[in-house]
Amino acid sequence: MDALTSFFNVFGDLGGGFATALQPFNILMLFVGVVLGLVVGVLPGLGGTSAVAILLPITVIIARTDPTSAVILLAGVYWGALFGGVITSILFNIPGEPWSVVLLFDGFPLAKRRGKPGVALASSFMASFVGAFLATIMFTFFARALADAALSFGFPELFAVFVMSFATLIGLGAESPAKAVMMIGFGLLLASVGFDTLTGAPRLTFGQTALLSGISFVPVTIGLFGIGEILASAEESGIGFVERLSARVGLADIIETFGELRKRIWLVVSTALIGFWFGTLPGHGATAGSFLGYGLARQWSKNKEDFGKGEISGIMAPQAAADSAAVGSLVPMIALGVPGSPTSAVIMAGLFIWGLTPGPLLFTEHHDFVWGLIASIYLGHLLTFVICLAGVPLLALIMRIPYAILTPFIILISIIGAYSLNNSMTDVFITVVFGLVGYWLRKTKYPLAPLVVAIVLGDSTEKTLRQSLIASGGSPLIFFGSPLSSLLMILAFVLLSLPLIRAVRNRGRRGMAEVAENETVGTAID
Amino acid sequence: MILAAVAMVDSRAGALVDTSGTEPGGIGAGFYPFWSAALMFGCAVVVAATARTSKREGPPAFENRAAALAVLKIVAPMVIAAASIIWLGFYVVSALYMALFARWIGHYRWVWVLALAIGMPVGIYIAFEVGFRVGLPKSFLYDQGLLPF
Repeated sequence: MDALTSFFNVFGDLGGGFATALQPFNILMLFVGVVLGLVVGVLPGLGGTSAVAILLPITVIIARTDPTSAVILLAGVYWGALFGGVITSILFNIPGEPWSVVLLFDGFPLAKRRGKPGVALASSFMASFVGAFLATIMFTFFARALADAALSFGFPELFAVFVMSFATLIGLGAESPAKAVMMIGFGLLLASVGFDTLTGAPRLTFGQTALLSGISFVPVTIGLFGIGEILASAEESGIGFVERLSARVGLADIIETFGELRKRIWLVVSTALIGFWFGTLPGHGATAGSFLGYGLARQWSKNKEDFGKGEISGIMAPQAAADSAAVGSLVPMIALGVPGSPTSAVIMAGLFIWGLTPGPLLFTEHHDFVWGLIASIYLGHLLTFVICLAGVPLLALIMRIPYAILTPFIILISIIGAYSLNNSMTDVFITVVFGLVGYWLRKTKYPLAPLVVAIVLGDSTEKTLRQSLIASGGSPLIFFGSPLSSLLMILAFVLLSLPLIRAVRNRGRRGMAEVAENETVGTAID
Repeated sequence: MILAAVAMVDSRAGALVDTSGTEPGGIGAGFYPFWSAALMFGCAVVVAATARTSKREGPPAFENRAAALAVLKIVAPMVIAAASIIWLGFYVVSALYMALFARWIGHYRWVWVLALAIGMPVGIYIAFEVGFRVGLPKSFLYDQGLLPF
């Protein structure tokens, strides 16, 4: 009965959320966010995460009136960037965003070789919309339940959740687990700079008073993502020739694509649902979701040989999974205070600086904020979908903005943004230094997701660790004191063991292959 | 590795579990940064050892001279601009920065260079000082009453 009541309560809450999201200023913020997201999505040199990071200081000013407007703006950028990257991939054969790399495989071939750019674009937009819509429905019903469950968490359970988040980053998806752990250590270290909140002792300040209040994660993330990405793309911009296709999405394209979507509706729905689940895991946002979606579509297809030649399933499945994963990545951020992707980690940093604490209490203490955000996800995707269908030629023009204007503009906005947060030149220098650090980490293939997640979660992880130990009188067995924390810690251990198991298995396979090879050679000699 | 080692040395005092009962929960202020740094240091050693024993040769620092130059062309003005803000303020720096890129990288005609050099600071002023009411640092000439920004 209770479950039924809370199920129906969701509709009332969502109605309230729409009332908040549909306020004129919030609609304006959503529109601005979506358009900015589309612009940065189309531009290959700047990603959605970077744009969200650069906008953080501005949202502080907006959040003074209402934090809901601020989060709607940032989330709008995320949704816009998800769609915007598609246009560059399909029409220019250049990925506008990391999550649209996978569209180069079938999007550009469908547009060029088979001469259907309108269908390629419409396929991607429709699949994105369906994927995001399904994911938002899941968000609506799933997040509240997760938050309600999380309300009973004590410090040990919360610490176990954080440990499992870090373990997920290391165990699943990390190309080099050692580099991922190193980045987590670096992030935790940065988060511990400044006064210790429990004892008041200064840590890692090296006598610098400017560091006593700690290193704010906003200038760090602006540097890592905003400036770091600009420098990385500057190095690659000498690629030269850019192939361009011109296109608009006509009514005939939409009708044709709708027919194609109906044929693949189960593929789109399945990849969207799997993408959503994948997105809720820490560190696995839209990029990982898009590759997962493509892999599944190819695996399930009867015509595997069509992939890479303009197969529509190769566009729809990754797009549905990517958008769904992006929406999913906000669920643990809102319900547990654990970001699901680098972009949601930056949005979570925003919540902290607006004075909100991400986690289960948000649903009760900032009811309008959460439901306004959820409603805005529905509206944001609808708005992006309509703008994309109508405005492809206009959006493709963005690619013509010269880099001689765009690069200094982004750097200046990053610097001013970092300064305006605390009116501090130290933050400007931190941004510049971390811009160089971010560029170098990208170059040397160190993952940025574990770093930014660790910076954002560093304080909470330490707080829950120490509060748990205070409660237990210093005994670490408290982390195995309840069934939930034990389960989470064991899961974390399993996840941490995965790279080791993979390495042993690969070594075993290599050994077997060598033995087989030697036997063959031996037989041949005999 | 060096960064992690420095952090470990700096926070070594609170690194171990305190059994005397003076620290809450048995761990002091240095425990968390020390072990974070130790984690980083340990992994840095693993990464360095793997790179050293690997048969594969790593990629060069830069693909070619042009790539290194492209990065340097952004890094050098950015560092100089950030350092100059203290004396020249945001408005003068942003004007010079936009003009530099427009002329040096974009090879625009002087009239466009001038338009960008004026347009950017005006845009920043309207957006930040008027719109968001954020006072940005002004130049030393402003302090002496010689310039309005």
